[in-house]
Amino acid sequence: MDPRLSEEQEILRKSARDFLTEKCPKSLVREMEKDEKGYSPGLWKEIAELGWMGLAFPEEYGGGGMSFLDLAILLEEMGRVLFPGPFFLTVTLGGLPILDIGSDEQKQKYLPDIISGKAIFTMTLTEADGKYDAASVKVKATAADNGYVINGTKLFIPDANVADYFLCVARTDDKGKAEDGITIFIVDAGSPGISKTVLKTIARDKQCEVIFDQVQVPRENILGKLNRGWSEVQKIIERAAIAKSCEMLGGMEVVLDMTVAYVKERIQFDVPVGVFQAIQHHCVYMLLEVEGSRAAAYEAAWRVSTGHPYSSEAAITKAWVSDAYQRVVALGTQAHGGVSIIEDHDMPLYFRRAKAAELAFGDARFHRKTVARNLGFKVA
Amino acid sequence: MDFELTPEEKAFQKEIHEFLDKECNENVVAETLSMEGEGPYSKELLRKMGIRKMLAPRWPVEYGGRGMGAMSEAIKVDEITSHYAPFPLDGVEIGNALLIVGNEEQKKRFLPGIARAEIEFALGYTEPNAGSDIASIQLRAVEDGDEFILNGQKIYNTEAHFSDYHWLLSRTDPTAEKKHRGLSLFMVDLTSPGITIRPLVTMAGLRTNEVFYEDVRVPRANLVGEKNGGWAVIMSALYGGGGGGGLATGTKKVIDTLVKYVLEEKQDADENRWIPEAMADIYIRTHVQELMGLQATAFADLNVTPPYGGGAAVSRLLSGDTRRLLYNTAMQILGPYGQLAKDSKWAPLKGEILREFLDTPRWTIVHGSQEIQKLLIATRGLGLPRK
Repeated sequence: MDPRLSEEQEILRKSARDFLTEKCPKSLVREMEKDEKGYSPGLWKEIAELGWMGLAFPEEYGGGGMSFLDLAILLEEMGRVLFPGPFFLTVTLGGLPILDIGSDEQKQKYLPDIISGKAIFTMTLTEADGKYDAASVKVKATAADNGYVINGTKLFIPDANVADYFLCVARTDDKGKAEDGITIFIVDAGSPGISKTVLKTIARDKQCEVIFDQVQVPRENILGKLNRGWSEVQKIIERAAIAKSCEMLGGMEVVLDMTVAYVKERIQFDVPVGVFQAIQHHCVYMLLEVEGSRAAAYEAAWRVSTGHPYSSEAAITKAWVSDAYQRVVALGTQAHGGVSIIEDHDMPLYFRRAKAAELAFGDARFHRKTVARNLGFKVA
Repeated sequence: MDFELTPEEKAFQKEIHEFLDKECNENVVAETLSMEGEGPYSKELLRKMGIRKMLAPRWPVEYGGRGMGAMSEAIKVDEITSHYAPFPLDGVEIGNALLIVGNEEQKKRFLPGIARAEIEFALGYTEPNAGSDIASIQLRAVEDGDEFILNGQKIYNTEAHFSDYHWLLSRTDPTAEKKHRGLSLFMVDLTSPGITIRPLVTMAGLRTNEVFYEDVRVPRANLVGEKNGGWAVIMSALYGGGGGGGLATGTKKVIDTLVKYVLEEKQDADENRWIPEAMADIYIRTHVQELMGLQATAFADLNVTPPYGGGAAVSRLLSGDTRRLLYNTAMQILGPYGQLAKDSKWAPLKGEILREFLDTPRWTIVHGSQEIQKLLIATRGLGLPRK
């Protein structure tokens, strides 16, 4: 067992941190909360040129030929600075699924554009009940001449407002079990019949309602197999849950560092408040949450990278990390006191995103149910 | 980055696992569960393990070890505890310190015997008025020629009644300006005249002891480190182990047992719908604690100091918290049956849950209370101010 990153990975981390510290200050994060697009096209172009979108893709498509673990490092760094924009979705919900199950034509068509930063992807998965289970997929794709027609409403779809393509998860057969009869389609986001509304959210990210009204999709845009999409969707969710956990880990680290630095400086009763055991214990438990998250997230990312099964570890990780980030921001604000709940402070940026991230790709309860099933319980 | 044990570690794990599957019989398990200390069956098993060099795999070969890394220690502890073989082995812990602070004669005299389970040690730090504030101990050692004369009292010395030697912290200089500067550490033969051992029993049934010293003579050759240098010795004993253990096979076995019990006895009842998620939560905590501990152990093997001192200390903290949560949850699952003692009619799961539940507070108190651990993490790990 070796918990260390390789030398190349340490270099990747350092260069990412240096770049993001310079290019993604909190002023940009705040600006993007108000921005219509929610990301900076200039910065998007720069990270594409650095090879970030292509990091985990094979060289034959223009990628960096590196691993999911390398991507995890990048996501952790992005989580530290609260990097705004569709990087996460384009890579984990667009590019990697196409790499996994796309046809050669699909890979040739989409991956080079993802890698060069030309194409933004997101996945239209969740619907009105906001759940990540098969029964919740009700948007219908009906066979028609040369393809399918999609109808229905998707909800909580991140960055749909700027996406060029959707991986749309739709029901193509509703006669059998909920898990059967689901198909993934690659949909041009500019297709006639698609309308998007940006929702106002806690993290001021760009989650959207996406309405499909008689949207036509050619048959060759089916990703993977007809009616057999759900097991792939599950894999995509599991991997995205791990990736999201890495991003959350980065955010937690900053909240811990910021809190520890503050309690060393903040004087009350003539001493730094960090002297008080009540405050020390808050900080110790924050460290516990962060270190636990690091161990879990990196084990899971390592498993993805090395081809080990990771379904169980994905659930364990997202369950732990979701709760951990909540506890870290709660203890962090408590240790800071009043200053940290004022909008201008950085803490609210993290506090609000901790909740959004908890909800993404299954919250702690969702994943605990998976762990319970793995233990042998029958859980609905 | 790699999360797998090395082939050498896996081979050791398999060897000790298969050995204990075969040799850790019901008599040994009964002695362990009695919590009365090592009995004859336990001693016999430990001797067999000693011959196979399983007890101190981390020590150099010349002292009876295998020259393996810290991970071998984590593997050993995991296999021993999950088989209900005798544990803890304070002699090995003390030997770890002796390797660092003992002189060559002492190492030769004690380490091979400890590794063969022929010499068992008991820790002797705590006194009635010195718990977390260990530097306040009073047991007095006065130099007399080539000997020291010892007078005073120790408490909660759990292995004293079946051990051969006492790893004893004493005060040699009561006038030292700082109280931790006047301490000395001795290895005392527990059969020496003047030592009286009296039992104390915890609510879980664990036998521990008070140990009284009345004009007990100990040779200078048994002084470890410098006279008045005892503080450095006990610090190396507390932190000399390195690493964080990690593997939690025993806890996972208990979780499995509880899952089986629930599936067989209470699966469908409406009022038990809370159980799967609660057990999942405990499993998740156990897994994370295991990972943190293993990583810390791996860092120790690599001689690398990770950020914040790494996960060892926080892993121990989480482990204590999780144990409390596990057995309290288990008691809630058992409901009224949980209160039945092991020899009672109707007692579920052989009364084991009750025993463990009653034993949970000990784990957050012994070997440095959680509060002391938090203090160390806060000040050493996070660099928070002391005053």
